Formats: sequence, C-alpha cells, structure tokens
Amino acid sequence: MSDSILNPNVTRRRFLQATGAAGALGAAGLGLDLGGGLSTLTKAHAQPAGAAGGETVITKSFCHQCPARCGIDVYTTNGRVHAIYGTLDNPLTQGKLCPKGHYGVYLLYDPDRFKSPMKRTNPKKGRDEDPKFVPISWDEALGIVAGRLNALREKNESHRFAIITGRGWGASDVGILGDFGKLYGTPNFNLGHSSICSDASETVKHIMDGHHAYSAYDYPNTNYLLVFGAGFLESFRPFTGNMVAWGQMRTKSPKTRVTVVDVHVNTTGTAADRLLLIKPGTDGALALAMGHVILTEGLWDRAFAGDFTDPALKFEAGKEIDPNTFNEKWVSGLAEWWNVVLKDCTPEWAEKITTIDAADIRTVAMDFGSTKPAVALFERGASAHTNGVYNGMAIHALNALTGNMFAKGGLRGYQMKTAWAKPDVKAEEFMDDYAKAPERKKPRLDGAKTEKWPLAKNMIQEIAINQLKGDPYKMDTILFYMTGPIFSAPDCKKWEEALRQVYVIDTSAYPGETSVFADLILPDHHYLERLQVADTYPFQGYPISMIRTPAVKPLYDTKVFGDTIIEIGKRIKGPTGEYYKRLGNTENLIRMLCKGFEEKPGDNGVKDFESFKAKGVWYRKPYAFLQKDGEFYEWDGKGYDKHLTPEEVKQKVMPTATGKFEVKVTELEHYAEYVAKRLGIAPERAPFPQWIEPRHPGGGDLHFVSPKLAGQAEGRSANLPHVSAIIQPTQGGKRNVFLEIHPETAKKRGIGDGDRVRIKNDVGQIEAIARHFNGIRPDTVALPMIHGHWAQGRWAKGRSPTASTNEVTANVSEPISGLAVFHSGKVFVEKI
Amino acid sequence: MAKWGMVIDLEKCTGCQACTIACGMENSRLPGEHWQDVIFFNEGQYPSVQMKWFPRPCQHCENPSCVAVCPVRATYKTEEGFVLVDWERCIGCKYCMIACPYGVRFYTEEKPSYGGPDVKQVFKSNDAHSWNPPWKMPDSREDWNHGVGVQPHDVVSKCTFCYHRVSKAPKGTADLDPGNPAQREFTPACVVTCSPGARFFGDLSNPRSRVSKLIADKEGVRLLDQLGNKPQVYYLTGSGGAVPSSHANVKA
Repeated sequence: MSDSILNPNVTRRRFLQATGAAGALGAAGLGLDLGGGLSTLTKAHAQPAGAAGGETVITKSFCHQCPARCGIDVYTTNGRVHAIYGTLDNPLTQGKLCPKGHYGVYLLYDPDRFKSPMKRTNPKKGRDEDPKFVPISWDEALGIVAGRLNALREKNESHRFAIITGRGWGASDVGILGDFGKLYGTPNFNLGHSSICSDASETVKHIMDGHHAYSAYDYPNTNYLLVFGAGFLESFRPFTGNMVAWGQMRTKSPKTRVTVVDVHVNTTGTAADRLLLIKPGTDGALALAMGHVILTEGLWDRAFAGDFTDPALKFEAGKEIDPNTFNEKWVSGLAEWWNVVLKDCTPEWAEKITTIDAADIRTVAMDFGSTKPAVALFERGASAHTNGVYNGMAIHALNALTGNMFAKGGLRGYQMKTAWAKPDVKAEEFMDDYAKAPERKKPRLDGAKTEKWPLAKNMIQEIAINQLKGDPYKMDTILFYMTGPIFSAPDCKKWEEALRQVYVIDTSAYPGETSVFADLILPDHHYLERLQVADTYPFQGYPISMIRTPAVKPLYDTKVFGDTIIEIGKRIKGPTGEYYKRLGNTENLIRMLCKGFEEKPGDNGVKDFESFKAKGVWYRKPYAFLQKDGEFYEWDGKGYDKHLTPEEVKQKVMPTATGKFEVKVTELEHYAEYVAKRLGIAPERAPFPQWIEPRHPGGGDLHFVSPKLAGQAEGRSANLPHVSAIIQPTQGGKRNVFLEIHPETAKKRGIGDGDRVRIKNDVGQIEAIARHFNGIRPDTVALPMIHGHWAQGRWAKGRSPTASTNEVTANVSEPISGLAVFHSGKVFVEKI
Repeated sequence: MAKWGMVIDLEKCTGCQACTIACGMENSRLPGEHWQDVIFFNEGQYPSVQMKWFPRPCQHCENPSCVAVCPVRATYKTEEGFVLVDWERCIGCKYCMIACPYGVRFYTEEKPSYGGPDVKQVFKSNDAHSWNPPWKMPDSREDWNHGVGVQPHDVVSKCTFCYHRVSKAPKGTADLDPGNPAQREFTPACVVTCSPGARFFGDLSNPRSRVSKLIADKEGVRLLDQLGNKPQVYYLTGSGGAVPSSHANVKA
C-alpha cells in the first residue's frame, strides 16, 4: 500500500516491477544519442496510419442502465460506436449523464454476447452442467416455440406458458404482451419484477393519494429535502436528474438543506447537511415522531391540512383531541390518526426504537416543518422491510401535514400520458372462441392479486416456490425477458430447482445464471441496435417519451424482443397468427403510435415519426395541476388559473375514496382483516400510519443490507472491467466488493481488515472480504449487490463475494405491496 | 493565446465518478487507467465519520515537474497550457511518474489491477497500438504526438485536458460551456458529462472568463500549492469540499 493519498498507484514495488524492461529499452535509446544531444533522438514509436476521414454521426437513443431512461446521443464513426453523451435538449438528461450512461459502448462490444439463437443439447440442468448450446436459425428457433405453444393450446393448457419480465419498456416492447396474453390465452403474459424492485413506494402513494406511481419532486424549487433510505446520489431514480438537481439545489439562494436517513455513511449522506444513522427498519418510527413534533409545535399547514375551530386548542403529547373541534381540509382522518397513533409518538419514544437522539429528531422535525417548500421521500432503505408500507406511509404523510402535496417546490405530481395514437390493428377483433372461453380466467402463477397477495401488483419472488409446489399449477414453458432471478430474486437458489422442471427460453443478449438453465436462447439486440419507444416515470411532472434509433446495424444474428414476440405470434394457429401478420413488426407499430403527435406535438416540435427520430424525445409541459395555499388549480394553457372544486380534485388530482390525502386509509380499512392477520395488529388500527416492529428473517445477529452503488448498472456491470476498476475503497478495491463492517464488531469476531469472512444464516452462506469501516452501524453489515456472478461472462466470474447476496436473503415479502424485504435480513459473520 | 484551465467545485461534486468513466470512454483508456480519478478517503469515529472524495485530473502545471525530468523531451508544455506526452518519443522510463507530485500518470504495461482476463489480450492489436478496443476513438482523431488515442506499448499516458477537443475551439474563446451547442464538442469529456455542473473549463489568462471569476469570487485553491508547480486546475472548497489531510485514511 502506498502512503500517498494522491498517488496510491505508484508504489515502489509496482514501479520497479514495470521499469525493468522499459528501463533497459530507455537506456539503450539514450545510449545512442548521449553524445549528440537529445534533439536527434529517433522515434521510439511511430503512429500507424488509420482510416482516413469518416463522418461522425449522432443518433438519438435512450439509456438502459436504470429505470430513468435518459436521452442519449450516440456517436458513431466508420461504423464504430465510440461515445455516448447526454442529449442536451432532453428534459431528463439536460446533456448530462451518470457514470452508467457511458457503459453502453462497452456492453455493445462485450465479447461474451450471445451471437445467434441457440438450443440446448445437454438435457441435464445444473449450475455446473454445460448447456452445450448449438447455434440454430431464427426460423428453427421460432418454430420450436410456436410448436410448444400451439401444442399447449390444443391441450387446453395455454395458461402453462408464462413470460417473466424485467426492465422492459414501451408499447413496442413489453407493452405488446397484454394483447399476446389475451389472444393466445394465458394470464401469465407479463409477470413483472416490480416486487423485487420498489413496489412499496408505489403502493404507499396509491393508498394515500390515489396514484399507483412514482412521484415528481420539484427539487429545483425546494428548500428542504428529507431523504429516508434512498441513495439519492447513488441509485435513486432518475440518478442523472437527481445530480443535475443537486447542483441547482446546492447553489441556489437559499441553498436547499438536506437531511439523509440511512444505516451507513455513503456519498449521499456525506454530501448532505446532516446524516442520521438509523437502526434498520425503524424509519417509520422516526417519521411518526417528526409528525408528532410538527403537530405539537403548531408547524402543520393549516390551509392544506385543516385547523382547530378554536385557536386556543392545540395538539398536546399524550392527549386526545375532540375530532369535532378540528376541521379537516385535504387530509382525511387527521384527528383520528392523532388520537389513535400520533399523540404518543414523542421523540423520546422514537429514540428507543431508532437509536437516534430525541434532540436530533426534534431538530430535524422543526427544520422540516418550518421550511417551505419541502420534500420528504423514501425508498427501499425504509420500505424493504416487513413493515415497509407502514414506514412509507408515515414518511409520505409528512408531505401532507406540511402542505407540500402538488405544491411548487414540493411533491409536484404524478404520471401524465403521452399522446400516442391507438394502433390501427385491434387485438379484440382477432380473439377466437378459445381465447374468449371462460376457462381462460385462471389465477396467475405468481399469486399476485389473489387472496394470497390481494394488493400486490406482481410477485415474481413467489414463482419458483409456486412452481415447485404446483400451486396453482405446474408450468410447461417460461420465457424470460431482461430478468435473471437466479441471481436477483431472494433465496435465488430455489429458482435453480424450479427451472429444472420447465422448458426455459431466455431472450437475454448476454449469458447469465438464468441462461445456464435455458433450453432455448433467442438473443435480443443491444439497446444501441434497437428501434424502440418508451415513456418515462413522472420525474418532471409532465409527460416525456423517447425513441431509440439504431446507432449501428446489429453486430450479431439477434432480434429485438418485440419482433421476437410478433414472430412467435405469427406462428400461432388461427386468428392470433393473422393479427400478428397484420401488425407486421415493431417499426409498423411505432409508426402508428407516433401519429398521435400530429395533433399534440411536443414542445420541441416533434410531430411525427421522423421528427421524433431526429430529436429523440417528445414532451409537453407543464404538469396539469397545482396546489397553492390549500386550493387546487388546473393549467388552462396560459397559467394555473382554473380553480378546481372538491369533486374535480377527487376526479383529477387525488382519486382516493375521500378525494383527499388519506391518513386514515380507506383501502386498508377495506383490507383490515388481511392486514391484521399478516402484521399482527388490531384490525381497527389498520388504516393508520403507525409503528410496527419489523421482522428480521435469517436468524443471524447482524443486520444485512445490500445497497446499489453509483457505478452499478442494470444487471451487467459486473462483467465490465471498467466498472470493477472504479468501485471505491470502502465498497471495493478495483476487483471485488467488500463487506463493510464496524471495526469493533469485527474485532469481537476476530475479523481483521481484509480478512475473508463467511456470511451465513438460515438461507445459505456466501464468502466475502471484510473491510473495517467506521461509517457503518456496529449492528449492521453492508455488501453491495454487484459481484458474485458465476455465469455472466469472463470478467464477472471469480470476484468476491463468491455468490449473490440473495443466497443469504430470505424470501419474505411485505404483505401489502408484496415487496421483497431485501434490507430486513440478519446474518452471522465469521472469519474463515 | 489562451491558457486553458479547469475549476472544480468540490461543494457540488457528488462523487459519482461519471468524469472517470466519460474520460475513459472518450480517450479509449484501459480499465483502471483513470486519467481523471476520484480519490475516496475517510476520517473519524462512528457516528461522526466523514467520507470524502477528491476528483483529480492532470493539473497541467505552469511549472511541471514531469517536463523537467523527461530525458527525451517526450513530455512538454504547450503555449496554450496543455502538458502533453509525445508517445512517438516516450521511452517509458517513468521518471515523470515519480516526479509528478499529483500521481496522474500511468504506464501502459502495468499489470492489470481489475481482475479477470487482460483486456489487451482480449482486444489484441495487430499493429503498434498496445491494444485494439472495438469502441476506440475515430482513427482520424488519434494523435500520438499529443498523447491522444490508444497508446503504443511502453509509454506513459495522462489526461490531455481533452486536447483533441479543446484545441479545435475557436481562437479567443473565454469559456467552454457544454450547455452551449456551439461549444459542446470542444469541451473536455469530464466537463460535458458532470451532472451537478461541478466542472468549468476556460481561459485563465482572460480575467473576464467564468473560470477566472469563479477563482476570484470563490477563492479557488490549488493542490499542494507550496510545491510551486502552479497547477492550472483550481478547486473551490465552499462549505462541502475536501482537500486531503495528512491523517486521512486511504485504501485501494
């Protein structure tokens, strides 16, 4: 190790090691000319002549390294993609990119890519079994799939075909699966991954303000940002946008103040003004205490939340109020919430749960409550726990108490729709009797929206277990798209057993753990080879949609996923095949969709397919609604001038049962028995944000979290040596990622800095390298979830940890949203 | 004649390392050969711990130590302020690497630190280039006399301030603003991509340039100024910045 902080690379050993050969060469070179002076030196190297000229072409596309979908400019010269930068006039990117945005060039030319369709020839499946893939033609490959699907239909078993999806976007991509399911006849046409992503945050918004969506936060205009368990400067979407906003927030006047709540010191917490290191899973208690202080200190927004009938009345700790003395405005159930829950949630009460000093809790609550406008946001650090939705509800309620919902500088709004046209070809007209038959209505394989998980959108993590149990039925064929549950689902080894039982089709462009169990590979294009459209989340409030135009011709014999589905569809017997022949291909579909822009052009002049391709992005400002001083207004084309009645607010802005922001949640009143049973609380308390003790599965003595790093992209960054090389000291060192452990915690277990350790619990065990770090809670260890791949490619393998963090993550889910509780587990750590 | 310089606002830097990655992509760098590195370190005891980071390109010194020690005049300082390496002359003796107090130089033949197969073997070159990455910069931009492109074997390389971009900027340009479409393509890669806008690039000899004003208004400082190298990279420390101290803890 070097003792120079600026120059850790030049160590004495490395210097001498590398200088041996070159030194000799140098001396020889010098020796010739020492007499005659240095100016007569001959060239040590001559630059070879390269390809002359070559015009550089910039194609518009959008990134695929996280869910944000930033607009990118792809630079191609002489058929070679050599650079990616942010698109200057894309409202999400603003010409910038995060580190991940540049990876596309490396992924395009990844030598481990699948190069053509392939079929398995080794019937035995297992981690150590070589699938012995052999290349086949697309025609043969598609014929195999259609053969299986037609045979299932003939046996009345089309529901035994499932498509499991990850990061798919847009009407020409996963958007076409709905019609495929309808026409072919399977409820399992798009079993999404959102329950191993961040479903709890959408669920919280859904049940409290009526939007099952992510939120648009008005960062550039906010004066206080309170972040619970979200890597705002590492992983929280949209990462580039967050950093652009960070630059604005931290230089405007007044400077936006930031408080971060997390379990270890990271770049987000460091860059903030204050970092509170909280006990994992207790963020809800902290937020409740903050709500308590905001009310007892009289800091709530009276115009939005309501007020006492008598100015002499107030909220006092431990004392109920008479609900008849409080006139609620846009926050429904506030008086009841106070009486049932909040009156007892003092900072001193929360200190015992969260380990954060009561004085600090009071200070942050006073800051947040007295600074306007302000934003409170959360992600998986707070919500990926058995009590995650209740934690999220307590946090989200802070936005309502302080009147920051739909306000300038606050939580600005939710998803608005892009002006896509409807396709000319209608799937409904091609449904045959088989597709229309009542027996097509079968429960989904993952159990979402059944009585097991009544409120969950997806339950991908249940699929392997359900398959093994045959509940509700055994699958015949599963097609995977952009998801690799053998690495990324909790208790991921179960999937290895389950996938032995079914015919597996993988559409990934790259090898991975899941493709080791595949019977057929139908490789996708890399995203820079694609024509594709997508909408993004409501990050800026107003709708934004992007298009990808191929920057190069496909390097290999691959097919874009949407066309793979269309080609399979064409081979299904009966009217389904006719429908897909009529649809043609994804380009046709995209051209049809873009006709909607003729009537509603984008603010940047995009009005059809061609102008869309030229600009890469369509958007229409502004967000349609605004709340100001407790009144709601709609944009009328010139300003927020149209005042909305309570009935209009209910219809358009807060579509909950009450038409208000609910701190007494109607949806949870409805499901009170279910919630009570799953979370062990009294049914009458179910509707209120409250503190529920989290469960910590696994059976260890240390909390275990697996955060995502700033440099960690979707899925495949582990096989990029350029990425491994930038992972920083506390997290990793060029090659591996480390288990962060507090020095005292380590010492008690005899673990030295840099020692190999075993991380184990009821679920399994993996090995890693320990890194002593003063910035992590002594009761917690953190291991970034990037390395541990055993089948992703030549650079991914052989790194530490030895396997996915999910081999020590129990498959336990938050009961309301269905979110897998990735940050709730416990482990033992021992020296090897 | 411009004197190009960079200003890095440490208060705005989020430590994301997009500068490192964008530089590597733009300049066809080997993994780990971080011309524009971000150095992380930490200090203190739980729960009062500081994590810090420090972005570090070549400082393009007015008095560069590297130039003074180069036995073959491969490393040189241009009139516009770039410190560059002529790869056609460099003999790889590495004296410059030792002389540089900022640790910004890299030797091509270093053993790969990133693990797994050597990318130079996977993407092998058939000519005098040390390797042949499929994503390398256009041939017409490669310029070994200015240390631009995929380097030959046995040479030292370093940040060029994106010489191949900046040197094409119109004469008299005060600042290169990546938000200005007319200047974007001349601006260094790290400045173009920096999301929080922590980086500025312009003419230090022009007192009306934005970089000059920032240095004046926000009391820009230079790294290890006591050594007399006079870097042309200035740091704004604001209330959130970090200049490494002698008791900081670093591990790589």
